[in-house]
Amino acid sequence: MALKIGRREFFKKSARAGLALAVGKGLAAGAGIAAASPAPKTVDVAVGISPDYEKAAMKAVALLGGIKRFIPKGARVALLPNVQSRHPGSFTKPEVLRAIIKLCRKAGAKEVNCLSWQTMKQWEDTGLKAVLDEEGAGLKLFAKDESLFKPVPVPAGQALTEARVLAELYNHTLFINMPITKDHAGNKFTGTMKNLMGLNSPASNRTFHRPNWKTDPDDVAHLEQSIVDLNKAVRPALNVVDATEFITTNGPFGPGELIKPLKVVAGTDRVAVDAYCAGLWGLKAEDIVQIKRAAEQGLGEMDLAKVSVKEARA
Amino acid sequence: MKTRERILSGLLFFLGISFLISAAFSALPGEGPLRAYLPQDDAAAGWTMDGEPQEYEGGDLYTYIDGGAEIYQEYGFRRVIVQDYKNAKGKSVSLEIFEMETPAAAFGMFTFKRSGGGKVIPLGAGAELEAYYLNFWKGRFLMTLTGFDEAPETIDGLTAVARIVDAKIRDAGNDGAPALVSALPEQGLRPGSVKYLKGLLGLNNIYPFYTARGLAFAGAARGVYDGGTTLLILDYGSADARAKAWLDLKGYLNESDRFKRADFGEDDIRLARDGKGQFVAFMESGPRLLIGVGPDASSVLGIVQQVR
Repeated sequence: MALKIGRREFFKKSARAGLALAVGKGLAAGAGIAAASPAPKTVDVAVGISPDYEKAAMKAVALLGGIKRFIPKGARVALLPNVQSRHPGSFTKPEVLRAIIKLCRKAGAKEVNCLSWQTMKQWEDTGLKAVLDEEGAGLKLFAKDESLFKPVPVPAGQALTEARVLAELYNHTLFINMPITKDHAGNKFTGTMKNLMGLNSPASNRTFHRPNWKTDPDDVAHLEQSIVDLNKAVRPALNVVDATEFITTNGPFGPGELIKPLKVVAGTDRVAVDAYCAGLWGLKAEDIVQIKRAAEQGLGEMDLAKVSVKEARA
Repeated sequence: MKTRERILSGLLFFLGISFLISAAFSALPGEGPLRAYLPQDDAAAGWTMDGEPQEYEGGDLYTYIDGGAEIYQEYGFRRVIVQDYKNAKGKSVSLEIFEMETPAAAFGMFTFKRSGGGKVIPLGAGAELEAYYLNFWKGRFLMTLTGFDEAPETIDGLTAVARIVDAKIRDAGNDGAPALVSALPEQGLRPGSVKYLKGLLGLNNIYPFYTARGLAFAGAARGVYDGGTTLLILDYGSADARAKAWLDLKGYLNESDRFKRADFGEDDIRLARDGKGQFVAFMESGPRLLIGVGPDASSVLGIVQQVR
């Protein structure tokens, strides 16, 4: 089901369905969209390994204790896969998306939607649109219209005082962040935290880049700090990272060198998940400014010796 | 006679109208100069254009490469055209022609994008064919062709399309690599490892200086040598600019917990160890700062001294 919503239509539909932004505000208190209920701590970083990427994704979630830990019955689930580019190893694999939609259904989700301000062509070129159609999940595409984005305060923000998040997110019970990990020419690494820029308004994202980013290291670091701040405003219920095959050079767009660890990495601690993914191609978490700063500012644990990592073949 | 005159004047009228229509269409807004370099249908046998070309200029690059345009901007970007091609078996090839501001910028982006492990092929001023994509540069132009699988016919297709583009770009000039690149000592240099840099983004992709100051160089060259030692030559344009930058960088090295000072007898070389245990040597040389990075002290000291 494809749906393109303009500004007026969005507000009309929201009002008709009684989905006032106040609902979002309630959920957003403190840290934005959060997990439906606190889950007992078992594994922090779960890794499913298989050449069958759907199975790898299902295994990763199973290692975390199963999807029902994260999705209550009747939930409206928002998904955020990466559709930035159609080059191999630069977008979330359709098989990983298919697995998560199936799991959401299994948990009794009432509705599963992908939210995006990217173009339909990107969704079609990456094969993700076809999976949504086949699995009966929704695609809600939005114009890059600032009125469709909700100002969300950033608690203890250092670069941002507020984020501007797709308002439709707050009409959902929870959201699952589904990036592909890959290289990034700007900050060397893309993972769970960087992916949230796909929910933030393009105009707000532009402010992450300061005028002197070419020469001033403080301005380069401003991008990293902005990403960390954005993650203070929005907290996914679950992160499922495609690390099956991805580019380690020329990111985020590609084409670039591909490696194929055949892994899907899941967890709620974004810093730990990103630290694990960075290690997949030899990066040290403390060398990635956004990971180090996120750890320093209390978003999670980057020392993998201090978290529980479980890997299993599917 | 009258009939012949009528036919002739009709023909002239038709040609005149055709010329006017053609001129009007060639001047349509949004059709940039890079269209002239696109291979037409079957110019590469069996490959036809798939859809319309997309064109982006200047800051619009962010629309095309959302989140990844900065590195092109750092080198100096003018415009890009993107055109897909397909063959009868459903294989696809995507062609991107980037027009950069200078040949040095095109060469720099080429070196940034290549892996160094690809197959060198005779195209343009330099080309590398990777598993499923091909980069080559010529004058101020950088071409990237992407196949969406590694099938031999896909690779043949992207190579064939690239050859047509190469032949079409005739006004690129004969500029070679920037002079700074030739400052890299040749002995032991892995040719595919050479990179030409224009700013912090490129540098941070090579070595994590984190938030160090003093790295606002005008241009830089990187080479990797047998044994795994890396040499970076940062050019600041003048000895004064280099001296100021080195003062800033030294301050960062002194304060940062990411580098530990390693003792060395000569005052003009600073030797440190980074978080990975690698040795890092810094040496001033006129307008340039030389940096060696490697697994042992003697190799990094040796490489910077060799350049001086």
